[in-house]
Amino acid sequence: MYLYHNTENDLVINVEQIHFRQQVIQAFKERFSTYGYHEIYTPAFEAYDLYAHLNGTVNQEEMIKTIDNTGKVLVLRPDITIPITKLISNSNQQLREDLRYFYIQNVFRQPQEQTDYREKTQAGVEYFGNTSPEADAEIITLAIHLMRDMKVDQFKIELGHAAFFDQIVNEMNLAKDDLEALQQAIQAKNITEIEDILAKITVEDDIKEILTSLPFLYGEPKQVIERASALPLTEALQATLQNIRNIYDVLVSYGVSEHIVVDLSLINHMDYYSDMIFQGFIDKVGKPILMGGRYNTLANEFKANIPAIGFAFDMDLVLEGVSPNALPTAEILDAVILFDKATEKDALTLANQLRMKSFRVVTYKSETQKEQIPSATYEIQFTEEEITITQDDDIMTYNDIDSVLAALKERR
Amino acid sequence: MTQLTLALAKGRTAKDTLKVLKKANITFPDFHKESRKLVFYSEDHSIKMIYVKAVDVTTYVEQGAADIGIVGRDNILEANADIYELLDLKLGICRFVVASLKALSLVKGSSVKVAAKYTHVAKKHFEKKGIHAETIKLNGSVELAPIIDMADCILDIVETGSTIKENGLTIIDEVEPISTRLIANKASFATKTAAVQNFVEQIKDVLE
Repeated sequence: MYLYHNTENDLVINVEQIHFRQQVIQAFKERFSTYGYHEIYTPAFEAYDLYAHLNGTVNQEEMIKTIDNTGKVLVLRPDITIPITKLISNSNQQLREDLRYFYIQNVFRQPQEQTDYREKTQAGVEYFGNTSPEADAEIITLAIHLMRDMKVDQFKIELGHAAFFDQIVNEMNLAKDDLEALQQAIQAKNITEIEDILAKITVEDDIKEILTSLPFLYGEPKQVIERASALPLTEALQATLQNIRNIYDVLVSYGVSEHIVVDLSLINHMDYYSDMIFQGFIDKVGKPILMGGRYNTLANEFKANIPAIGFAFDMDLVLEGVSPNALPTAEILDAVILFDKATEKDALTLANQLRMKSFRVVTYKSETQKEQIPSATYEIQFTEEEITITQDDDIMTYNDIDSVLAALKERR
Repeated sequence: MTQLTLALAKGRTAKDTLKVLKKANITFPDFHKESRKLVFYSEDHSIKMIYVKAVDVTTYVEQGAADIGIVGRDNILEANADIYELLDLKLGICRFVVASLKALSLVKGSSVKVAAKYTHVAKKHFEKKGIHAETIKLNGSVELAPIIDMADCILDIVETGSTIKENGLTIIDEVEPISTRLIANKASFATKTAAVQNFVEQIKDVLE
């Protein structure tokens, strides 16, 4: 995306885009740290077996596989949550102290749709230990905080619960085909289809009422929760709804409720999600830029009991949706210093002193062709008599490099 | 005011759809069928309508280039897109069927060669029944395939079934009913909830 060969096979480097991307990533890292998260890395190669026995997580056909010298099958890291959970489970059966980790890494998939990229940058967090609604709300607030940092104002987090749909269908005895069809219809909010499916199977009236209401249990959290609680919910469903209510209450205390919608028809996209799930949307990007949820039982796969919650941003989609104006721009240089042989020593000394102060500086001999010199905020011209600084139409004259240094520091 | 981009499918049902929109007081003054323009605005500019090929409507909506779309369920099923399907406009009613020249024994485990414009729908239909289907993609006159012995059967849209009958084919399986649907991009539904829901309600009111 940022460094590639175009159709004429010329190397195309989009410096501004790379710079912008780095800035966004830096801003993410800083925000993650302010919530007490530490950065971690996972290996690029993972054992295929790690994923092969976990059904309903990463589509095995989408993984990019390779074979090592010994004949062992490896995959290029298709996901980050699973290896982290495995690592932590291997060293702890249970946690005494909560762990908060973040990562900014690439994942590799071979998607069925060809327009997708095979390599995607994910920025995400995993929070191990704490199961309270406060932890759930904190992590959603972190996601919202990141979007606020990016000056995105049109964004929404859809909050749902993986158990909600599961608990409903557990009450029914559905054939696999019907379950899949029902799931698809609910995910599409396709009420016509839901009614058609329900007409074909025997189902209790109470469950029918809940299922046909699902597509409309979307919107302002308080209203949705109120409408849902008027339904003939089982005790388990009531507890699930209460969990969402509790999380929402904390989000209100965080002052981020304007960005929250509750969607009770939200269904797992990863089987390991066990409780609250959420996804984020921003204006002008047609796909969720953020997905996450609580996965309290994934560690059980690795013989440990460690509840956890996490999310991941798709950074390529974030970059599509965030305006480059939101962050300091990809900057032209701070200063170009022009000199001749006689002033060389002073000019180069000034250049280094400015660099020590984090100015971005390039130096050229005065006779260099103008077109060759990159543009900069200040042009500093050394002559034998004086030093002139030109900024747009402003021209200032100085006698020595100390006063130039002082003037530039002042202006910054 | 939030502006919504609506992708409207050209062809069969466009005229009827526009009638429904008109009933709901959504009109496009610049629009006439012969126009080469592709973008039209509603009178109050609350809707920006793009007039595109039916097969492309789901693509525009799934990518978020259009917030909402109006298109036949045949195209939605074939595209297998991750979108919301919010309303049945009950226009352009027809159905997917399987038809053949002679009776076929389509039992679990058997295999069949099927010609179709909608190959994804065909694959999925036979897969569900446990039948291995080899699909042949055709863009028109699908009925021809069994006649010239290129396929065992076809999967196609029928309204009355007369084309199928005229070519000596018989319907051997009903697959799915089809009609025009209102679809929405999931991100637009989240970020422009009120505008999308209002639009749905407006249309719903005039359908009843």
